[in-house]
Amino acid sequence: MQVKIGIFLCDCGGSLRNIDFPKIRGNLEKLEGVAFVDISHNLCLEEGGKALASRILSEDINRVVIAACSPELCEHNFMRLLESLRLNPNFLSIANIREQCSWAHKEDVTGKALELLRMAINKARLLQPLERKEVPVNQEVLVVGGGFSGMESTLELSQLGLRATLVEKGSALGGKLSELEGFYGLGASPKEMLGSMTRAIEEGKNIEVLTSAEVTRVEGEVGNFTVRIRRGGEEFPRSFGAIIFATGYRAGILPRDFELRPSVNIISQRNLIEILQAPEKLERKPETIGFILDVSDESSRLATLLVLNNALAVKEKWGSEAYVFCRNLKVDSDGAEKLYREARATGIAFLKFEKKPQISEEDGRVKVEAKDVLLGEEISLSCDILVVEEKGLPPEGTEALSSILNIGLDSQGFYQNENVYLYPVDSGRKGIFLVGACRGDLDISRASMDVASAVMGVCELLASGKAIVEAEKVRVDPDKCRACLTCIRVCPHGAIRLVRVNTEKEVAQIYDLACEGCGICAAICPAKAIDFEGYTDEQILAEVEAIGE
Amino acid sequence: MNKHVLVIGGGTAGITAALGLADSGFRVYLIEKEAAIGGQVASFCCKATEVCTKCSVCLIPQKLSEVATHPRISILTNSTVMGVAGEVGNFQVEVWQKPQYIDSERCIACGLCAEVCPAEPQAICSPSPEAVPLSYILDESRCLRFKGEDCNLCYEKCPVNAIDLDRGAKRQELSVGAIIVATGFEVFDAREVGPLGYGRYPNVLTGLDLEKIFSHEGSLRLPSNGKEPQKVAFIQCVGSRNEEHCYCSQVCCKYAMRFAQLIKYQNPDAEVTIFYIDLQNAGKGFVDFYEGCKETVRFIRGVPVEILENPSGALEVRFENIVGGKIDRETFNLVVLSVGIVPRKDSWDLARVLGINLDDHGFFDARSPIDSNKTNVEGIFLAGACHGPKDIPDSIAHGISAAEKATEVLQRCKSR
Amino acid sequence: MGGNNKIVAFCCENSACAAADRAGKIRLYYPDNVRVIRVPCAGRVDVLHILKAFEKGADGVLVMGCQEEACRHLTGNTRARERVKYAEILLKESGIDGERVRMVNLAPEMAHKFAQEVSEMTERLKGLGPTPIKNGGPQR
Repeated sequence: MQVKIGIFLCDCGGSLRNIDFPKIRGNLEKLEGVAFVDISHNLCLEEGGKALASRILSEDINRVVIAACSPELCEHNFMRLLESLRLNPNFLSIANIREQCSWAHKEDVTGKALELLRMAINKARLLQPLERKEVPVNQEVLVVGGGFSGMESTLELSQLGLRATLVEKGSALGGKLSELEGFYGLGASPKEMLGSMTRAIEEGKNIEVLTSAEVTRVEGEVGNFTVRIRRGGEEFPRSFGAIIFATGYRAGILPRDFELRPSVNIISQRNLIEILQAPEKLERKPETIGFILDVSDESSRLATLLVLNNALAVKEKWGSEAYVFCRNLKVDSDGAEKLYREARATGIAFLKFEKKPQISEEDGRVKVEAKDVLLGEEISLSCDILVVEEKGLPPEGTEALSSILNIGLDSQGFYQNENVYLYPVDSGRKGIFLVGACRGDLDISRASMDVASAVMGVCELLASGKAIVEAEKVRVDPDKCRACLTCIRVCPHGAIRLVRVNTEKEVAQIYDLACEGCGICAAICPAKAIDFEGYTDEQILAEVEAIGE
Repeated sequence: MNKHVLVIGGGTAGITAALGLADSGFRVYLIEKEAAIGGQVASFCCKATEVCTKCSVCLIPQKLSEVATHPRISILTNSTVMGVAGEVGNFQVEVWQKPQYIDSERCIACGLCAEVCPAEPQAICSPSPEAVPLSYILDESRCLRFKGEDCNLCYEKCPVNAIDLDRGAKRQELSVGAIIVATGFEVFDAREVGPLGYGRYPNVLTGLDLEKIFSHEGSLRLPSNGKEPQKVAFIQCVGSRNEEHCYCSQVCCKYAMRFAQLIKYQNPDAEVTIFYIDLQNAGKGFVDFYEGCKETVRFIRGVPVEILENPSGALEVRFENIVGGKIDRETFNLVVLSVGIVPRKDSWDLARVLGINLDDHGFFDARSPIDSNKTNVEGIFLAGACHGPKDIPDSIAHGISAAEKATEVLQRCKSR
Repeated sequence: MGGNNKIVAFCCENSACAAADRAGKIRLYYPDNVRVIRVPCAGRVDVLHILKAFEKGADGVLVMGCQEEACRHLTGNTRARERVKYAEILLKESGIDGERVRMVNLAPEMAHKFAQEVSEMTERLKGLGPTPIKNGGPQR
């Protein structure tokens, strides 16, 4: 097909006065393949669009070059217009002569505008059509992790009519919910919540629960993942369209927090909860209980909320004297400040230190010595029990799974790179979502926001059972590909796989639905086998070419 | 069932919710009180130093332009919700739109009208660079025509007939299946804390002022003399964690630390001090960032009670140095008050119109912390900081979350 | 005001393009010798593109991508930085000053930094003069 270019110059209502439009027209009209050069005043408005449409049709052109405002503002509209004229929307090339030319310079910039147009024209000559294609997607969703976030994800998916399979490592659902004593300020006890969620899962439509099961391998891409699940000695493959990871966190006491080992009197939050739930184990009610936060590292929101809850529980059940030692109390979660005030009102004392407190054991009691910065005094407290904080640590297997999945971890070892484009729940790979405490220090209200965000993301991808892609926008030339795997290694979105074309040869193939169109693969391919339509080497170099002219 | 959803408020949470719904097939009316969508965050600045400090401000412009070009989203600017009737699946909403003297759908931002406007100061103002829609704005109070003069210059000059000074206000009725409230927040008015001198001393600024200065100028200068500040103090919890506002605003420690790093990055000789009660340094990616801050920024536990201005313009800050246990004084060039998030003053009106509850602080009340999008009225959802303080990532998450809850309720209506 | 020295700026559409647009919107006048080539990510820019730009008459090349740790495609900006470094070495080997190519990280709203980088490169090029390519190839 012979290239026939129509050029539209928009002078933005006559306001771009440092560009000589007739001169540009005169210059461009003579170029090969240019059918006409029009000057318009209002291309972005309905009447401008209509005029543009009728010119495209009457002149039967097949490439459109527009010089106007930033493509950020106008590209969408023009692409839609081309589509409505049954012209491939990729046959459009825009020169930004307003924001990046007329507005950016005081002097006459006719020369620059002309060059920007020549760049756009050079590129337009090489543009190839892109076809939109419908691809089917598997509507089943895998949820990994049976704690609050995982259960909630499963329930919400089922309410939206999607089939969910919930895989839990342990023998029962519940995760941390089954271990907690209370949620002060949340209005529901963890036991009740777990009970009603478990019932809802049992009764829910389209839900399958696999306990004592683990994910061992994940292959494929969004819309078509193949996951291997191990359960009771056997391993089997299953297909899913999307995966939600809700593997939670592991509560641990860092040994470096204390020179002392946990003993009868120095216990963890879990130990305390066990005692609270089975007080008969206790010889006598503890009169003085200390809690300690921020010893070596800064505490998390989760640890702070747990301490506040447990201190309140101790106060309520036993009426003990409770002291909380901390550096910076983390109150930046919903309701935390209120809980802190409530705790103080019930007589729980908060002592804030700068220097790490000294902890020692004598005569079956624990002594905590610290300088309280609020009082400015050295405090020495002898308590029956000292409860140490728990750190939220990444659950076991996180690192292994992240390398299987090819998704990043943050500096603390949790899922998700620290990159604002991924927040809240994206992993970098389409169709894989990370929710709740497995991606960082999230309290339960933030975790529930994560869950809804991920479920919404799943719906957008899978709800209609099909997805529309620009087919082969980025494509690998199978003759040039040497299967060196470089592209597969560097693709940040896990969108490339190796496929066998015949008995001798395997080549890389780009999965259109997972591709986000960055072109990193095209730049890195040593065999120059990858082309990215719109930004092929030829197209980029054609733009460069115009600069010397 | 009605497949339209109304989103009230075009800030971070509102646009995120609108995009989520529109992308999954719903039609969205996005109502914005101001002339442009974007909300407070549109005037915020990027706080990156050599590396990104994850403030997330950069995510907003792209979302705004997506909203503006989305075929399933209709934006109604300068508009307010006056009344709501009906129930989930079928709400009737009455919307009042201020007169659109300059039609934002036609305005091409060429600026010719502003060139001819004879009023002093000019009645036609250029939009901020991030404004969506990018349209010029007419200030009635300055316009000669509204003062009785027969001026028609802008109308005659406009090349696209976008201007009509005789246009009236518009009332319209929208029919929607669900409503998302995303009206955002206000920042605490630091004038209420008289002794800190905000509004009286030129070199006492708020965090919000700093956002705007960095956003417009790209760097920080003293308002009094245009010089680079050498000694800067941040005062935390101004309007948060007190008797009146007994909650943590969740954003101030982070923005103060980010600003502190940005100031140090632009001027390594500057000394920056942060006065605080409890540092909120938890959260993804923030642990390491805080470690970096500790090396360059001085942290003092204690909240200053008074600021006095020397004749030279320097600011003497009097504070109780809690660690030292005495009252100290120190002079600074610039003091930044880390003002917190407070409910919008007009929340009460909207709560009455919609029939939804407010909480003790004056934010819209959610049914439970675990279901923080749902209100006491079925089909009306909350998104973003109108429900309580949230940073940008949390507002985005809450916005998508609201969209999900609305989707769920509309699907349920459909199957009924 | 930019003189005869041409600068090619490969700009990421997620950040640098927006910064350039914003510079125009707020009328930050900068030298008019810069030509922006829009790319989907700085990671799309290949050493080949940089070298060809010089061959075709550019006197300086800027590769402009997202802030460190804030790449829309996670690693694109760091890969671009590596390639710019490599291009620098290749240029030096061919007798062209390595300072003519520069990697810049910016956020979408950093209009000031965009303008400043273009101005700085322009000044640098004034000092260096046109590339040896324009005088019939590098003098060995």
